[in-house]
Amino acid sequence: MSSGCPPQSPAVAKSEVAVEGECPLLAATFAYWDNILGPRVRHIWTPKGDQLMFLNDGEITFLANHTLNGEILRSAECGAVDVKFFVLAEKGVIIVSLIFDGELKGDKNTCALSVILPQTELAFYLPLHTICVERLKHAIRKGRIWMQKGYNIISVLSLEIVPIMELLASMKSHSVPEDIDIKDTVLNDDDIGDSCHEDFLHKAVSSHLQTCGCSIVVGSNPEKVNKIVRTLCLFLTPAERKSSRLCRSGSSFKYDTGLFVQGLLKDSTGSFVLPFRQVLYSPYPTTHIDVDINTVKQMPPCHEHTYNQRRYMRSELSALWKTDSEEDIPLDTIIHTDETFTPDLNVFQDVMHKDTLVKSFIDEVFMLKPGLSLRSAYLAQFLLLLHRKALTLLKYIEDETQKGKKPFRSLRNLKSDLDLMKEGDLGIIMAFAEKLRAGLHSFVFGKSFYTSVQERDILMSF
Amino acid sequence: MTQSANAVSHASLTNNTMIGSPDVVAFTKEDEYGQTSPEPWDLPEEFSVPLHPLADSNPWAKTSYAKFTKDFILISEFSEQVGPQPLLTIPDEPKICGTFDLNYFSLRIMSVDYQASFVGHPPGSGYPRLSFVEDSRVVLGDSKEGAFAYVHHFTLYDLEARGFVRPFCMAYIAADEKKIMLQFQELSLRFSQASECLKAGNRRAFAKELQRKLQDLEYTHSVLQREEGLQREAGPQCVYSAHAVEKANELANVEKSIYEHRDLLKQICSYHRRPRRDPQAVACRRCMTECLSECEELLDKYAKLAEPVSHSEKGGKGEGGEGWLDDSRGEEEEDEDGVKRRPSYTPQLIKAKSAKCFDKRLKILPELCEGTFYEAAVELLKETERSFRGDLCYLHTRRLDKALRKNLRVVNFLFEEELDDNAEDESGTLRPFCAVNHSVDNHVHLNSPHIVLGPDTTQLHPSKPQDPLNVASETSTTRQSELGLGESQLESSPSDQTLETQESSEETKGSFSSDKSGLELAEKRESMASMISEGPDPDSDLTPEPDQNTDAGRESSSEDVETTAGEEDDGDHERDQTPVSLLEVASELDDCDSLNESKLLPPIDAACCMPQEHFLHEASAPDTMSSVQQNSHPKPSQILVVNQEPQALLPVQGEYTVGSPCSESPPTSLELPVGLLGDVASQTSVEEGSDCTLSASTGSDRAASPLGYGGTVTLRERKKAGQGALRFVRQYPFAMQALWCLLRGRTLVVIGSDEGRVRRLVLALALFVPSPGKCGERVQAWLSCPLTLTDLLRWKLIGLQRVGSPVGSSLLYSLSRYSRYISILDVDMKTLRCPPYSGRLLANIADHRTYIRRGSTFFLHIQSTLCRLAARAFLFTFTHHLHLPVSPVEGQEVVESRRRSFLQEQLGLDKGDSQVLLYLSQLITQQYLWPANRSSFSFDYTTSVLYKI
Repeated sequence: MSSGCPPQSPAVAKSEVAVEGECPLLAATFAYWDNILGPRVRHIWTPKGDQLMFLNDGEITFLANHTLNGEILRSAECGAVDVKFFVLAEKGVIIVSLIFDGELKGDKNTCALSVILPQTELAFYLPLHTICVERLKHAIRKGRIWMQKGYNIISVLSLEIVPIMELLASMKSHSVPEDIDIKDTVLNDDDIGDSCHEDFLHKAVSSHLQTCGCSIVVGSNPEKVNKIVRTLCLFLTPAERKSSRLCRSGSSFKYDTGLFVQGLLKDSTGSFVLPFRQVLYSPYPTTHIDVDINTVKQMPPCHEHTYNQRRYMRSELSALWKTDSEEDIPLDTIIHTDETFTPDLNVFQDVMHKDTLVKSFIDEVFMLKPGLSLRSAYLAQFLLLLHRKALTLLKYIEDETQKGKKPFRSLRNLKSDLDLMKEGDLGIIMAFAEKLRAGLHSFVFGKSFYTSVQERDILMSF
Repeated sequence: MTQSANAVSHASLTNNTMIGSPDVVAFTKEDEYGQTSPEPWDLPEEFSVPLHPLADSNPWAKTSYAKFTKDFILISEFSEQVGPQPLLTIPDEPKICGTFDLNYFSLRIMSVDYQASFVGHPPGSGYPRLSFVEDSRVVLGDSKEGAFAYVHHFTLYDLEARGFVRPFCMAYIAADEKKIMLQFQELSLRFSQASECLKAGNRRAFAKELQRKLQDLEYTHSVLQREEGLQREAGPQCVYSAHAVEKANELANVEKSIYEHRDLLKQICSYHRRPRRDPQAVACRRCMTECLSECEELLDKYAKLAEPVSHSEKGGKGEGGEGWLDDSRGEEEEDEDGVKRRPSYTPQLIKAKSAKCFDKRLKILPELCEGTFYEAAVELLKETERSFRGDLCYLHTRRLDKALRKNLRVVNFLFEEELDDNAEDESGTLRPFCAVNHSVDNHVHLNSPHIVLGPDTTQLHPSKPQDPLNVASETSTTRQSELGLGESQLESSPSDQTLETQESSEETKGSFSSDKSGLELAEKRESMASMISEGPDPDSDLTPEPDQNTDAGRESSSEDVETTAGEEDDGDHERDQTPVSLLEVASELDDCDSLNESKLLPPIDAACCMPQEHFLHEASAPDTMSSVQQNSHPKPSQILVVNQEPQALLPVQGEYTVGSPCSESPPTSLELPVGLLGDVASQTSVEEGSDCTLSASTGSDRAASPLGYGGTVTLRERKKAGQGALRFVRQYPFAMQALWCLLRGRTLVVIGSDEGRVRRLVLALALFVPSPGKCGERVQAWLSCPLTLTDLLRWKLIGLQRVGSPVGSSLLYSLSRYSRYISILDVDMKTLRCPPYSGRLLANIADHRTYIRRGSTFFLHIQSTLCRLAARAFLFTFTHHLHLPVSPVEGQEVVESRRRSFLQEQLGLDKGDSQVLLYLSQLITQQYLWPANRSSFSFDYTTSVLYKI
């Protein structure tokens, strides 16, 4: 600097990730705002394999720097992760950037973790945006701890960047189409019970709806698995369908956090190992459906799931904070516990709550002649009813609590006024409402739940 | 602890699926109970996640950080003089932004180097280049401020600006980040349209500016040339004074500038030819073509005129610059009408060097774009702001609702508001926005709709084919003689007069003159009534009164049918009440394929009927009606339809039945004043006989529109009606009976002396009227004349004025006369006279003990309940085996008992509830098979009961 020459540009490290299939992601970058040099790119990840478009390192660096433009004005709270989403038609790319602060060489720096995709993939990417962002956000939380300790953040970020590349590649080839032909689903059977047992179908759909449309379908026969996947996806919105994945025959995909419905194939031993952490990190509780043995299990409702999820996240981050060596990055497969929280690994339970909504729908829809549009139309009516009921419930609670200013105390009245006396019906409509207004479960049921959990913890400590 | 954790870690989910748990790491700490002192190795909160975030305690508080009260649009500019600055907010109210710092946010959103494209003189190029950059879109936020924005960056051209570009951005600012991301594509689409509109106007303005500049330059050039010539002549030869050299340099600069500006003009001409990289940038083709042709015209003009003007040439033309101008620039321009007009611009002498950056005044946005385009873009942004206003969950549900209802047109007519045909634009069709309304037929298909069901569902109602782009007609558009908007641009060109345009324009007209549509509907109803009417029953017990002549005869015949119905036993009654099986009636359609109605049939039922064809023909064999009549109406034995006014309607019958549904009725001398809705039953001679005097005197009352005031009933009105409905349910313990009457198709008359009160109640109760019509044609909010039988055919809910005059006694007489067929809700006495209802179906929407607080919530609840009812009616109507004999030996009674059993056992409905479903199913059948004809008058006779508070 003293000689007047600009400092040498540090070399940009690059990792090439082998991804099976066509990966729509062009590159991922980690950049930071150097207080002397301005925006600098520290690391680039690119998929190795078929790509829709090629960007050279210079272009990637240019784009990555671009994401930090204007961030000198950033005035976010410490620890906040802000998301920026660019669609640059001029460059033909979309960039998703997560901006956060982190400590590099003793200085607080503004950093950006970015993912670059071709603009042609906009419609493909948008439904998956939340999934990618939430997963990257958690990687950043861990990365910030690593940075604080003076360790290299790249190794932590790689643990999530690579699975995201794999996720996008798998979605490119196996995502559920937006328009599902009812002929490819169980609802086209001549009669109920033709391809799956009546009660199994009812339980599966009911639980699927109670868990906000989030389900995993496992089995040994890919066609059978996919038929159920498509059937469950009929009850989702098109955007949610685009965040669902069919099962791959041959070798199964790994479980991916955040997808709505995913089909998974059992291995040759007839089993499928679910990663506890990833299942718990799903934004909604999950229904587990085994099409081989016709079982349906579900995770606890949203408020309990979210509570467990947060406690687990805190445990994981605490574990990371207490790690002494850079080499000791806790693996995803490790289950974290601490003194106050021991996760209940038996997260999937039997479907306890019976409903009338799905039961009557399943009974009735098979009365209509298949092969025509009648069943699709009836399904549309059913979904319309559910969406409307959810909105009514939301509005009811909004009125009762003055938009959350007062606690909600009239669940009994709500059930009777809105004809939701059956717990299963209430669960389904609450799940729809939760998707519209995140945190509703915790607001309605949370207080008593937290109290009971705290009581239990106190009692257990004696 | 570790042990227990290990133990649970191996807990298996099922026999075959396990939770992966190779290891369990426990971080236990021996601590005293309750001690929560922070340890140095405890994770600081800034690195952790909150266990109880604010959203848990209040899901509505998520957006409470924002300093503004509602979403708004901000237009900002990166001014080369003062930096980023806010220009305009939509809505343009200071209170919208609250304490939100617009300057700071403008700085934040404009500080992104979004384009990073070269402007100015590129290496190797002699002239400055215009940068043609695509718009860029960014979603960003300021978590501290609680503000998130969709930002649409675009550039406009300005001859005076650095690099000729002025960077602008339009931002949609909201407190909810999810709202922006979930609606990213819609926002992007809307803002792209606004941007294209502004840019289209800007290109025109820029070209105009260039034209002026070239005029100035050429004028300056000529002046300089003359001065230089004079100096050269005045001074000694071969000796150039400093002044002369300076003039020569100046002249050279001007010449260079002329070339540069000609080149700029060329570049702006090439704008349209470059390939667009932005898939959402769709501009109006006609605008583009016109602009292109204008630019080319200009280019031609200046290519000729900008040839270096020699001194001798100039001298030949005249002495002064003005003279030159008169010849070359000052030529009078001829507009479209052939009227000569003076040029609007007088060239000026300009300095070769432009003013310094801070000396000049930069153009404001309306100057940069032509006024029409600017205003259109602002209007579009206002519309965008309106359409995205509100909470995300309501917007999202509304969109889902719409998408789902598109697949349910077969039942939508029952309780749903009319679907907007333009709704497709929101998701499926990219319609370029045009400030001068060129883009009527400019459709570009973008993505598949955002929220749709399976593809087969659309088969129910295949969408209209879209008109292809009429490129040929666009290119044939006559060129404008000058820049700017000629009148011809504002008018529809012949190419716009496609069938679709005509239809759409008719629809538009319809919204203003709904009397016409009402008229047609009424005509159809009239014609239907005439077609189904039969002659007076010779066995009628009722003797027509002498003064009622023909009309009385008609009424007696209808009453006779009613009496006969009343005499039937319940079982027969129910049979008659059941809707005609679609399969049965479809057989009639098979006989008459040539009719339009059958062509319009969606595939579902035609397909349903195929296997049962032999059956269907048997069923329809005894029918001896003409084919037209068969196709227009169910057989009298199948659906009870009042048989009235057969003779009087016959003369007009042919015209109404055979003519196209859109044909207007010929005016008749009997026409009575018609209100907005134009209920024109009174136009014909129907009314003539019975209540001639009264009807004529209160004709306008009779025809007045109760709901929507001639237009469709809006959601807002319906929600308002929800408040009234809630009040009614709370106030009247017999509300359930009243609602039941409406839902089963029994006409309800609300009588009262206070017009406002009656109208409000009618508006509220109208929510429960099945198939109320697009503009609420089946509801009459206020009637001040006695009821006639036609009124009962026409309206299902009537508000009736209680008067004390002789008119009042006649009114009461008419009420008592028809009391068998109607239910009467007396607002003044707070009584209801109607048959008793003992079902459970309506218990949930008519419970006076409901805790629902708000009308809008109650409206949503009603919507859900009616949606469920419609679904059940759909199921009942289209469940084939219910309406068809399983074997040839099976009689109608067996089928009938199967239907009854379905209603009672499968759907769990008792008699009263079954009647509701039967009525709805009947309406679906009618709507499905004869969409043009909705009127039918079904009734049964049951003893009425008087309910009091």
